[in-house]
Amino acid sequence: CKNALDTNPTGVLGSAVLANKAGVDGLLIGAYSLLDGYYSGQPGTNYGSGISNWSFGGLASDDAYKGSDTGDQGGNAAGDIEAHIVSSSNDYVYSKWQVNLAGVVRANNVIAEVPLVKDGSLTAAQGAQAIGEARFLRGVYNFELMKVFRNVPYVDETVNYAAGNLNVPNAPIWDKIEADFTAAMAALPTTQSQPGRANKWAAQAFLAKAYMYDHKYTQALPLLTDLITNGTTASGAKYALGAYGDNFYALTRNNAESVFAAQMTTKDGSNGQNSDFGDVLNFPGGGTYTSCCGFYIPSYNLANAFKTDAAGLPMFQKDATTGFPMYNVTNLKNDHGLAAGAAFTPTTEAVDPRLDFTVGRRGIPYQDWGLCGGETWTRGDLAPYTPKKNVFFQKDVATTADQGGGWATSQGSAINYLLIRVADLYLWRAECYVEANNLAAAEADVNVIRNRMAQHPEYWVHTYVDNSAPSKGNTTTPAANYVIKPYTGQFAANGQAYARQAVYMEHQLEFGMEGHRFFDLQRWDAIFGGPAGANYMANTINAYIKADTRISNPVLNGRTFVAGKHEVFPIPQIEISREGGALKQNPGY
Amino acid sequence: RVIGADDKQGVVGAAVRIKGTTVGTVTDVNGNFSLNASNGQTLVITYVGYKTQEVAVSGGPINVTLAVATNQLEDVVVTGYTTQVKKDITGSVAVVSVNDAKKLPATSSEQLLQGQASGVTVINQGAPGANSTVFIRGVNNFGNTSPLYVIDGVQTNNMSQVNPTDIESISVLKDAGSAAIYGVAGGNGVIVVTTKKGRSGKSTFTYDGYYGVQKPLSGNVWRLMTPAQQSQLAYQAGDAGQINGLYAGGAGSLPTYGFRGAGSFNGAASGVTNDASVTALYKFDAANPNNDFLVQKFNQAGTDWFHELFRSAPQQSHTITASGGNDNNTYLYSLNYLNQKGTLLNTFEKRYTARANTTFSYFNNKFRVGESGYVFYRENNGGSGYNQQQEGGTVAETYRQLPLIPVYDIAGNFGGNYAGTSAQLGNATNPVATAMRSVNDRSKTWNMQGTLFAELDFLKHFTARSAFSGNARNNFYYYTGYNPYNDSEPHGNPNQYNTASNYSYTFNTTNTVQYKQIFGKHNISAIVGYEFKRNGGQQLGVQANNFFTLDPNFLTVAGTTDPTSIILTGGNGTYLYQPTSTQSLFAKVDYSFADKYLLGGSVRRDGYSSFFPGRKYGTFPAGSIGWRIGQEEFLKGSKVINDLKLRASYGSLGSNANISGTNSVDTYNYGPGSSFYGIAGGVNSTQLGFYQTSIGNPSTTWETDKILNIGFDLSIVNHFDITAEYYQKRISGLLFPLQLPATAGGAGSPVVNLGNVENKGFDISATYHDQVGEFRYSIGANITTYKNTITSLPDPGYFDLGVGSRIGTLVREQVGHPIGSFFGYKVAGINQSTADANSGATYSGAAAGSYKYVDVNGDGKIDDNDRTFIGNPNPDFTYGLNLNASYKGFDFSAVFYGSQGNKIFNHVKYFTDTYAGFVGGKRTELLTNSAIVANGVVTNPGATLPVLTFNQALGSSAPSTFYIENGSFLRMKVAQLGYTFAPSVLKAVGVSKLHVYLQGNNLFTITKYTGPDPELVPSINNLGNGDRQSAAFGIDFGAYPNNQKSFLLGVNMTF
Repeated sequence: CKNALDTNPTGVLGSAVLANKAGVDGLLIGAYSLLDGYYSGQPGTNYGSGISNWSFGGLASDDAYKGSDTGDQGGNAAGDIEAHIVSSSNDYVYSKWQVNLAGVVRANNVIAEVPLVKDGSLTAAQGAQAIGEARFLRGVYNFELMKVFRNVPYVDETVNYAAGNLNVPNAPIWDKIEADFTAAMAALPTTQSQPGRANKWAAQAFLAKAYMYDHKYTQALPLLTDLITNGTTASGAKYALGAYGDNFYALTRNNAESVFAAQMTTKDGSNGQNSDFGDVLNFPGGGTYTSCCGFYIPSYNLANAFKTDAAGLPMFQKDATTGFPMYNVTNLKNDHGLAAGAAFTPTTEAVDPRLDFTVGRRGIPYQDWGLCGGETWTRGDLAPYTPKKNVFFQKDVATTADQGGGWATSQGSAINYLLIRVADLYLWRAECYVEANNLAAAEADVNVIRNRMAQHPEYWVHTYVDNSAPSKGNTTTPAANYVIKPYTGQFAANGQAYARQAVYMEHQLEFGMEGHRFFDLQRWDAIFGGPAGANYMANTINAYIKADTRISNPVLNGRTFVAGKHEVFPIPQIEISREGGALKQNPGY
Repeated sequence: RVIGADDKQGVVGAAVRIKGTTVGTVTDVNGNFSLNASNGQTLVITYVGYKTQEVAVSGGPINVTLAVATNQLEDVVVTGYTTQVKKDITGSVAVVSVNDAKKLPATSSEQLLQGQASGVTVINQGAPGANSTVFIRGVNNFGNTSPLYVIDGVQTNNMSQVNPTDIESISVLKDAGSAAIYGVAGGNGVIVVTTKKGRSGKSTFTYDGYYGVQKPLSGNVWRLMTPAQQSQLAYQAGDAGQINGLYAGGAGSLPTYGFRGAGSFNGAASGVTNDASVTALYKFDAANPNNDFLVQKFNQAGTDWFHELFRSAPQQSHTITASGGNDNNTYLYSLNYLNQKGTLLNTFEKRYTARANTTFSYFNNKFRVGESGYVFYRENNGGSGYNQQQEGGTVAETYRQLPLIPVYDIAGNFGGNYAGTSAQLGNATNPVATAMRSVNDRSKTWNMQGTLFAELDFLKHFTARSAFSGNARNNFYYYTGYNPYNDSEPHGNPNQYNTASNYSYTFNTTNTVQYKQIFGKHNISAIVGYEFKRNGGQQLGVQANNFFTLDPNFLTVAGTTDPTSIILTGGNGTYLYQPTSTQSLFAKVDYSFADKYLLGGSVRRDGYSSFFPGRKYGTFPAGSIGWRIGQEEFLKGSKVINDLKLRASYGSLGSNANISGTNSVDTYNYGPGSSFYGIAGGVNSTQLGFYQTSIGNPSTTWETDKILNIGFDLSIVNHFDITAEYYQKRISGLLFPLQLPATAGGAGSPVVNLGNVENKGFDISATYHDQVGEFRYSIGANITTYKNTITSLPDPGYFDLGVGSRIGTLVREQVGHPIGSFFGYKVAGINQSTADANSGATYSGAAAGSYKYVDVNGDGKIDDNDRTFIGNPNPDFTYGLNLNASYKGFDFSAVFYGSQGNKIFNHVKYFTDTYAGFVGGKRTELLTNSAIVANGVVTNPGATLPVLTFNQALGSSAPSTFYIENGSFLRMKVAQLGYTFAPSVLKAVGVSKLHVYLQGNNLFTITKYTGPDPELVPSINNLGNGDRQSAAFGIDFGAYPNNQKSFLLGVNMTF
């Protein structure tokens, strides 16, 4: 009976099992695995923590509405984020905080485990590389936290329960993030055996991105030039801009434009949990396509932004009467309020071809699912658009779609989410050039992005051969009146302020519905040191709310973005409680 | 022969024993007995309900007339590891009147306890065979608060599968004085169940059975409006989406057809129309839903989803029992067949139970061996009908699904919100379809449970006993998922098959030595023992999609047409239960002097495997005293007081229910959804990764329950027995999952000893019995009060629970408040105008017609910080009332049960009483009581609900007093009228006893609660989460009602 009570843990691994190379490798993969924004059993919701930032980056900006029924993910969830009435108990905020700190801790576990390996299975070089990848990942997760919360507890490998030092105070930690990426750059090889791993160039791109957010343009510039000139993907492919749509297609993943991506997988035994689980709601809520759920509806504002003028350029200048950008004075013609069966011809207004990769609209091919049904394909109230960049193709459903949840048919997706793609590098460098007042160089970089579409009509969306049988493929006829041209000296002619707005506009168009918009507005605003002037973000979003509630919007009606408060989200109240006062709430919350 | 003084009939089954020995027998059906005894010896005759009588043996037949007991103090009560005469008990032991309890037709025996014993609170649900929530003297903690069940020596966590007919007695050990002998397992109280044994004498053969029908609730259960009223509602709300999409013909207008699918009608893939030609386009392709073009004809009169789902259902139970024995050996065998269909489609509980209880005596009855055990096979649907108390449950779907939607479409396939547009038809599912599709779902369980024992009397006063008790369970279940082509969420899902097989075991070996001796006025009994317990188990679960057919005669996982869809960690999971072991030493002494002064003491030392070395062992002592004042000279002659005993006890128990086996160590694991990642870039492949699953805490140990109990037992005027007790239970070192900040990472937090809870209250039970001529009656009542207070929690002194709600935190556990307290805003009325909304404390979205909230913290604005405690789900008291009466052959009995002072969070109102939430069934009040605003002013100042708006705002659906209702109720659980045929009539047909009865259950419930049933088990969302199991309750998401009427015809027959 002496040993009757000595039972070993069953069905789980003790820590001793991991002190070898396989253990370190496994812990590192485990740290990578949160890049998809979700882990099984996490607190809160997968919708809130998804890496695409559709809620924080999209709904809270002028990109998109929540969609669905008003109450669906409304209070304390996505609806409050769209409406700028986020409370510190918001479920999405909590989920985002939890998952990214879990990512930080998983990275720390790798760093802590390496010195514990004594069995000779892990060489010094392998250990150093594992630590380099872990520091890269720690930087990525902390970056996510910085964007959303700004005041972040810096948790390194010395922080843990046993040490009793979990109550870490929060502050901006760009210096720590930059240090992690700098260390990762030094430790990582330029090519990796597996395309999902971070290489030296990915670390350098994140360091540049951190400098952009930290407004250190002069430090970012040489890094970006080096990347554009010499950078390669983890597989060794020279960075290049390919077909725009390849960025949003599962089977062209990890191409030459992919600087660093969250790898999404389907039919892998996880029941959809690795298949962009944060975005399972973001599919049409009606039509032939599928069943659910009608979230993440592109805004009128976003669709309007793609209008091009006679010169084939975007219309971002302010309208004197309304104060709106020129593109937003009237809405792009759409099918709002039109009955399901009524005839509708898509607008013949000139639009940037990227519109039809970004926004599903009535009468335009929706991948290979048929002509989009517009408002009848949405589920909630009164919006004619549907998301598109995260939507897979019908022909690939068997391999690139997965169950995302019991109610969601094949809504897990194998489309990678690109944390950084090559287009980012050019547009960041353009920003650096603008701030250095090198406007011609800035314009050249913006034109690289525009010319990808302007010079390659084959990249555009084309009409179906047979509208009733989309599987027969597409013609070479553009699906709409696409007009896009490069700038021709306007930057220099109109000066720095114009150039800055032109670069910002290019960001908005190139990355619409990719979850960056809110954070771009945040870093451009003067509040944290950005160059766009005081209240730039508040003014932009309040003008958007005013414009987009011309058509009654149950979530946005009467809402206001408060400068000095809503640029960041509240620290979860429960975390402030749990840290016993070490965490400070963000101003205004 | 033994006859009763009251009816002069033979007493069946009275125990006759030769005093000072264990030699004895039992009277037969005529009251006769025979026994070898010598002149000068004394016979002791005992029988429940009669006074124990002693008769000297003087040769020849002995006739004994037993006097009716005026109190129950002579009853033998089963307590921890032993039995005691009630008058000698100093602890708090509630004896459940098994005769009364058995009138409650129960598929789960825990239901028998409701209202039958003071101090015991039972919450039932309507699903046949579903578990009940039982707690003793209040909710003790935030997790597992279920008592320990000891069934014929088997220590287990429920009694649901014991055939009620087999039960001989149920005792509830509530205080330290009685339960501390169970040590670490007894902290939540102990329920000791013994089953019937055979008696020596003539063999008897009995049949007990009933057949009946249960009826669903009647009327408009959710008080929903008609489709035409919903059309008006959309106009009142100005909801352009609904108006354009469904009600384009004006307020009150309704569409005729809805369609959707591959194809088009008037150029649209989906929509509504009044044009009947749409029906010609109907297409249904079971193999590929993407080819469907479904058309349904709307039910303009309104579908009553509740009554489409619930139907009258039969129930029956049959038990045959054979028992008997001789002086040395006894046996009892019983077979039971139970089949209760649930009123909810396709729910049922079917069970076959066989029991064998035997004892064999040797060496002049000094050595005895025996067993009591049963084996059962249980089958139920296990599927959708049981997953209630959540918004996706079929019950909830009966209010969430629009009444406009028909059950079946024009071709007889299921209707739903697919055919039309989901924007206007909502996202609920067709609950009838869900229930019908679960027709082949099964959960099949084999279970064996029992005890083998050997007993030896030695050295005159000692008895040694060794017993091995255990339970071995094997469960196999499977359920299918059909493509729900009729629902918009989802339309195209592939079919699915989930299956799992698991086994679990628990056993305990118990070795005791008992000592009993009387010297003069000293009466002493003692027991010491050693016990070892272990449990464990394993499950293999798997799911796969895309089967050619879901025919249950075909289905195996291997039959999938898509092997990549096979998932071992799917809905069921594949895992090992962490085994746990307990080993214990215990001792108990009871001493009485002159039958007046009583003293008891017990101590138990337990070791438990889940704690870290150095923290494994704990000691739990208890002591109790009693004074039988009634035996003192000054009261002995009293005509008023027949007996009076004062007693008190104090001691400690423990609880280890809320801790997992690996709590003390760090653990790691891996899983596809947790830590695998496609780092190699493949679309369908991932690579193995590890993650930390839990953080260990080596210093965790027991929860300690310290219980003080003071009470008295009083019998007066020969007719009235009353027991009253005051208790105070302090639970300290609560096993509490530490609320670690996110800086600890995603690993599970260790359970630590933090937090205290206190329960105090009164348990009172009383019976009054009398006889007027041949009319005999008794009234029994019991009342349970408890006041529950959280007295300590780790920083910040509270934690919040949302339990699957869409509106966030509903419940806050905070120091100074009871467990499960509802938390939210206080509604102070409706803002009567825009100016009103903007004056004083306001919030974003406040407008004329929105709720006005109380500015609790007085900071001039309404935000999270103005949430406060808005209701306590714990009742002030629960009570039971048992009425029994007989006249000649007729008997009548009734059982009432009530709960008083508890609040309910009626979460159903989020769906039915707010417009902004979801499209679905709406309550009529929404049309009649909503504020109407014109030009910024409310034009109907009496409105109680906010203005109909589909704008999202704090002002309509946030947790608030709007949801809180009074949950008090009084229910007539049982009314039974029976008739016992005279033996003289029956003799001719060879039957010795025949009792027939007609019974009605749940004939009425008196309550102010507006939902279907105020009796609410916790949401399925916190049952799944073991560490929060009892932390939130009294929340109505749509429960399987437990107040449905049923009518039974029953027979008890003895041959």
